[in-house]
Amino acid sequence: MSAASRFVFRRRGHGNRWHWTDVVTWIWLIGGTVLMFGPALWLVASSFKGPAQLAEFPPTLLPYTQITAQVEGYDDPLPLFTVTQEDGSTTILAEIRRIGTSAQMVDPDTPSERIDVDIENRAPLREVGLATENYVEPLVTNDFLRFLWNSVFVTVMATLITLLTNSMAAFALSKYRFAGRDAVMLLIVATLMVPLSVILVPLYSVVNATGLLNSLWGVILPTVATPTGVFLLRQYMLTIPDELLEAARMDNASEWQIYWRIVLPLAAPALAVLAIFSVVWRWNDFLWPLIVLSRRETYTLQVGLNTYAGELNVQWHYILAMTVVTMIPVVLVFVFLQRFITTGIAGAGIK
Amino acid sequence: MGRIALNDIRKSFGKTEVIHGVDLAVEDGELVVFVGPSGCGKSTLLRLIAGLDRPTSGTIEIDGADVTRHSAANRGLAMVFQSYALYPHMTVRQNLSFGLENTKMERAEIRRRIEDSARMLEIEELLDRRPTQLSGGQRQRVAIGRAIVREPSAFLLDEPLSNLDAELRVTMRAELAQLHERLGTTMIYVTHDQIEAMTLADRIVVLRKGRIEQVDTPLNLYNRPANLFVAGFIGAPNMNFFETTASDGRAELPGGLHIDVPQDGKITAGIRPQHLRLANREEEALEGTVTLVEALGAETVVHARALDGTAMVTVLSGQPNLGIGDAIRIALDRGEVHLFDAEGQRIDPS
Repeated sequence: MSAASRFVFRRRGHGNRWHWTDVVTWIWLIGGTVLMFGPALWLVASSFKGPAQLAEFPPTLLPYTQITAQVEGYDDPLPLFTVTQEDGSTTILAEIRRIGTSAQMVDPDTPSERIDVDIENRAPLREVGLATENYVEPLVTNDFLRFLWNSVFVTVMATLITLLTNSMAAFALSKYRFAGRDAVMLLIVATLMVPLSVILVPLYSVVNATGLLNSLWGVILPTVATPTGVFLLRQYMLTIPDELLEAARMDNASEWQIYWRIVLPLAAPALAVLAIFSVVWRWNDFLWPLIVLSRRETYTLQVGLNTYAGELNVQWHYILAMTVVTMIPVVLVFVFLQRFITTGIAGAGIK
Repeated sequence: MGRIALNDIRKSFGKTEVIHGVDLAVEDGELVVFVGPSGCGKSTLLRLIAGLDRPTSGTIEIDGADVTRHSAANRGLAMVFQSYALYPHMTVRQNLSFGLENTKMERAEIRRRIEDSARMLEIEELLDRRPTQLSGGQRQRVAIGRAIVREPSAFLLDEPLSNLDAELRVTMRAELAQLHERLGTTMIYVTHDQIEAMTLADRIVVLRKGRIEQVDTPLNLYNRPANLFVAGFIGAPNMNFFETTASDGRAELPGGLHIDVPQDGKITAGIRPQHLRLANREEEALEGTVTLVEALGAETVVHARALDGTAMVTVLSGQPNLGIGDAIRIALDRGEVHLFDAEGQRIDPS
């Protein structure tokens, strides 16, 4: 037994017997894993299922596709079924069409002969396979590549502007003494208590008046000034010693150079945290883009997803597939930047 | 050139005035040390000279030009901070070049200056490291190097050695003295350590509560302190003080010892522990009881309590046979007695 497996499978009980804590640990960990990863895995698996299979009950765990065969005399490939004969034997037949409770079928080997089968007696012949058209269709013909680009544009621009403006505000609020500084800080933090839904209507009026409706900038600009970001960065910048700034001043640095060459590089961990937050916020933003964007070519991914949920018909297979696409960047951000999230939050937190 | 003059400098933070009218002239090439207890305003004064703070009133002149309203960058001074304040995200080389790049200096000239100062400070092999990878002494050198490359008209050093361990402090102190010798540039050095002040300074400025108490050479401060504060601050162990009242040109110290004084009234007599010795049997002496004996080998510091309760400290050479509780008779050389009047100002013997 390798050291790794010995480590994983060792038990508390004497002589490698089961102790009750071993049982609880295993149940807890496995349960937790299922609870955490279950929905995400279910989403990914289901995104490869066809619409019929999604409507099926009981649901299957893995995505399957119907096996089809090209039968002489028919233009399209026909789906294959396993049919149980009256004598109990089974044969594989292709279905031409279904009429009520009976299906008109044909043996692929003798295409000229049609057989009527009760649908109770047939079961679809399937294999594990991926319904990749769930992905191809929206991305190619339903403008989802366009939505993806819009989302990327909104997220990247909003994050860059957020980092720039918030760090400038934080720099001024942490490193300069001026009358009303604390009042300004208090005001900024106080806006945390105003939810978006309260300012939705006035914000809409402003965006409308400035002609930003149906423009991606209308989504980007109202969101860039975040009190959380200013607060987070200010708290971090307070920990940068003033002597460094004074040394830079003695070194002929302008205030702009101090900000750009001293404070920003030193605030990198806090900036990384804010960048991660900002990316996730802007990427997952739904309500505000839905309000500002009403022309299809300006939709972001989240708004685009909404178009598949019609009043009468919800196209689950597309929604699921595009949800996976939507999730990928956020997951990547967390996978590659999680080191910064933990160290950054620990460092930028209230000291 | 680096002649710095302060004229009636005052500084208030809010309603508290911390510098109460300081006048001082620092000559070109001089090494002046600001010394004083913590909170005496020595660092504040240095920051005012540097331009990091503005005085509430008064003027600062560098080489005859009034720079009171000039920014720190435009005064042509360089400062070494107590915490070194090296930019942690830059390599040593970048730390040194940052100030030069900001003045739009040519790259070749920047490189020449960095190499020169790195050679002088023996930090050539550290140039590509970051400050976090350096030891305390190395950081100190880099901080000094950052000041040197600027080729300033004066260096301002704010307790530069206080973060080093005792041994390194002694070496760096010697190196700083050599550096000043070699560069010949004006230096203003702030410290609370009187040994640093005595060993480095051309002149020492003793500060207390935002006022200059005395400005003089180290030995003059030691030999002729202008007042009680300077007398007590300079020299270790501290000077012994005996308060007494003089009449008819004579004053009596505890134990019946008499000294001649030029004026009557309340006076304080001060005498350094090094100028006391054990008395002969027939001599007039200070009498007391030993309370503590600190044997250092070459010399012995004896703490004693005089008959009237005044504490006195004596530094005796060698290892005299004394123990706690022993009676002790101490004689003094009358020429070494410093006299101060009721206001604490020095009285010169007439």
